[in-house]
Amino acid sequence: MSGERGRIEHVFEQSPGIRLEAARAALAQVEARVGVTREAGERAWPLTEPWSELLPAGLPRGRVVSVESSTSLLLALAGQASGQGAWAAVVGMPTFGAVAAARRGMDLSRVALIPHPGSQAAEVIGLCLEGVDVVLAGPRLALSDADRRRLAARARERGALILVVAPWAGADVTLTVERVRWAGLGAGEGRLREREATVAVGGRRVGAVRRVRLLLDVDAGLRSRSAVTGAQSREEVA
Amino acid sequence: MSASPRAAFRPDGAVGAVRRAVLWVPDWPVVAAAAEAGIGADAPAAVLHGRGLVAVSASARAMGVRRGMRRRAAQRVCPDLAILGYDEGRDSREFEAVAAAAERVVSGVEISRPGLLIVPAGGAARYHGSEEALAEALVGAVAEDAGCECQFGAADGLLGAVMAARASVLVPAGASADFLAPLPVGSLAHAAMDRFQRVAVEELAGVLDRLGLHSLGQFAALPAGDVLARFGPTGAWARRMALGEDVAPPVLRRAEQDIAVVHAFEEPAERTEQLVWLAREAAQRLDAALLDAGMRCGKVRIGARTAKGDALERVWRTDVATRAGAFAGHMADRVRWQLEGWLSGTAGGPEPAPLVELSLVAEDVVPLGAEQSYLWGGSSGADARARRTFERLQGLLGGEGVLSVAEQGGRSPRDRVHALAWGQEGEAPRRIAHPWPGRIPDPAPATVLAVPLEIQVLDAGGSPVIVDRRLALSAPPTWARLQADPSDRRARAAHRHPSSGHVGGAEGPVWELPRPVEAWAGPWPVVERWWASDSDRRAYLQLALRTDDGEPGLAVLVAFADGKWRLEALYD
Repeated sequence: MSGERGRIEHVFEQSPGIRLEAARAALAQVEARVGVTREAGERAWPLTEPWSELLPAGLPRGRVVSVESSTSLLLALAGQASGQGAWAAVVGMPTFGAVAAARRGMDLSRVALIPHPGSQAAEVIGLCLEGVDVVLAGPRLALSDADRRRLAARARERGALILVVAPWAGADVTLTVERVRWAGLGAGEGRLREREATVAVGGRRVGAVRRVRLLLDVDAGLRSRSAVTGAQSREEVA
Repeated sequence: MSASPRAAFRPDGAVGAVRRAVLWVPDWPVVAAAAEAGIGADAPAAVLHGRGLVAVSASARAMGVRRGMRRRAAQRVCPDLAILGYDEGRDSREFEAVAAAAERVVSGVEISRPGLLIVPAGGAARYHGSEEALAEALVGAVAEDAGCECQFGAADGLLGAVMAARASVLVPAGASADFLAPLPVGSLAHAAMDRFQRVAVEELAGVLDRLGLHSLGQFAALPAGDVLARFGPTGAWARRMALGEDVAPPVLRRAEQDIAVVHAFEEPAERTEQLVWLAREAAQRLDAALLDAGMRCGKVRIGARTAKGDALERVWRTDVATRAGAFAGHMADRVRWQLEGWLSGTAGGPEPAPLVELSLVAEDVVPLGAEQSYLWGGSSGADARARRTFERLQGLLGGEGVLSVAEQGGRSPRDRVHALAWGQEGEAPRRIAHPWPGRIPDPAPATVLAVPLEIQVLDAGGSPVIVDRRLALSAPPTWARLQADPSDRRARAAHRHPSSGHVGGAEGPVWELPRPVEAWAGPWPVVERWWASDSDRRAYLQLALRTDDGEPGLAVLVAFADGKWRLEALYD
């Protein structure tokens, strides 16, 4: 903070031309920090642990990421982008768990639901890509393969991300939750507390399929008892 | 004249007191509730909030009913006591009539709380000749227009004026401190204008009483510094009140006309086609009215009255940036959606009925050209683009086609979401801050079925598991059969096969093969609103199921009600 103030004070000691340049640079910095402008060079939302294990380069803009058999993982990825100021539209998911989405970092004030797009799914997603950063698409949308190709091209052009539930032909990244292990539930007692999942990362842009084991739900109470296993559970199991 | 005697009480040179006149309607909550319920002013009545009575009418008081009494004790004292519900909104709403009546006599009044009205006395008394004349005019106007009795008093300072009104006296200028000195410290609570302040002040009065300071005069004689050190800001405030001083000048309200459009239908409208033109017409008239006043608005309150007499109301946001000629069209769509929602009954509220009146009121009104966009974000850049996109989508799919969601309080995962059409504003009906005992514990399920699907929960022998009246399971759940995807051909074929047990019929749900239950917890009983017609009684079970290949996998939340299990949510 003090460094920034120093820089701004420094600006006023220079000649007018240089001052203008420096002021523009400072403004650009502030804009980038508060997220007013969509920076041209920035092509991905950085992810925090443990999601960065899945996509070390961050959540890519302008791509199609399909997540199979886990809505929670889908919401977690959307929450990562939403937490950084992205707007989201949820198309064709009438079963969207808003509370789970909020817990996973989605800011519900920047989310709109379009639960039943019907036969206009392609048009609706196309419109959403114009104005929204992340489009979550549900499993049963009336989309032909040509529609999907066209929407992917539109997303690439606009720098928006399409996150889909179902298999999507030609998805850039495919995340498949293969194995899930719940902790905390017994025979008639306890409750669902912690979930460990094995996720296969594949797709056109990834190359060989990689498998990552991570905790989809973390229970702080369980964690404190076994802090060691938490660190171990994120190693890759090829 | 007023400055010299009071200077002695103000060694610190604090601001002086404004001479105020106070109009007080005794037992206002009862008066308002009785007026709404159509009970006469002389019938014994009381307002109940929580466990005790909060206000008691004069005739009930004469029979021995007191504030703070329990319902049963009050009914024992006075068997024909009418007990009315507590409603802060109604109190404020009904008081508007009294304020309007007072405004006929003086310009600019301050409503400190429903039941209490403050008027700066100086100018008004000069205009009417004397304070007595002002009192007569005010009390007369209120009795005539609002139809209720009120008391009037005038003094320097807030507490002095309030106590003067309660005693119905006019305290001469400068004599407020002497007037207040013999009163008990408990009367400080009358100057507290909101509930939290009132609680703090009542607490303070209790402490003072126990310390042996029974009158305001004794309390006011304490040094200011010591009071501040011992009792903090509340104490300092109370001491100045006890001295008959003011803390803040009165906040006067200005009577301004709402910018509104009212349209009474010639014949009750039942079909949405009738309303398309009306919506456009009303929106255009509101636009013209705003333009005439040189204003623009941030929200529009759409109201309607049905033939049954119900009043419906909803607030919609309007994007101020869509001003240039687009406002009428933009608003017309929203009015039409809202009216369609009310006519079809999808918007909630009372039973749908033909509409007889439509009104549009502009809210958040600012002068044209005076509105500001936010410095960062707000109505600029990405936010504006996203909002415009959703509004275009609404144009394509209809008002209810695009929803905004918010979290609210509740027990089941479905209850915890509050969805509204995009752009509509409304309070969530259930507060998050309330405790909601028996809520399904976290983690929240990612898939919440809008309409629960039937599911079979079976014991080891294959017969259905049931929950009895005493919330015991008939047997531990061992198998669960989910409904298959209707487009799954193999499941349909298996369903038709005689071995599935449904001989000769393809009707009914198509079931998957039973999945073994890996672990389970429950039953968790939830009984909601047992006193109402929409009561709900169910028992929840969390099940972790194995997938077809024997791997542990899906976890689900199921609920048992009316002899059937239903799938509520998936932890997928």
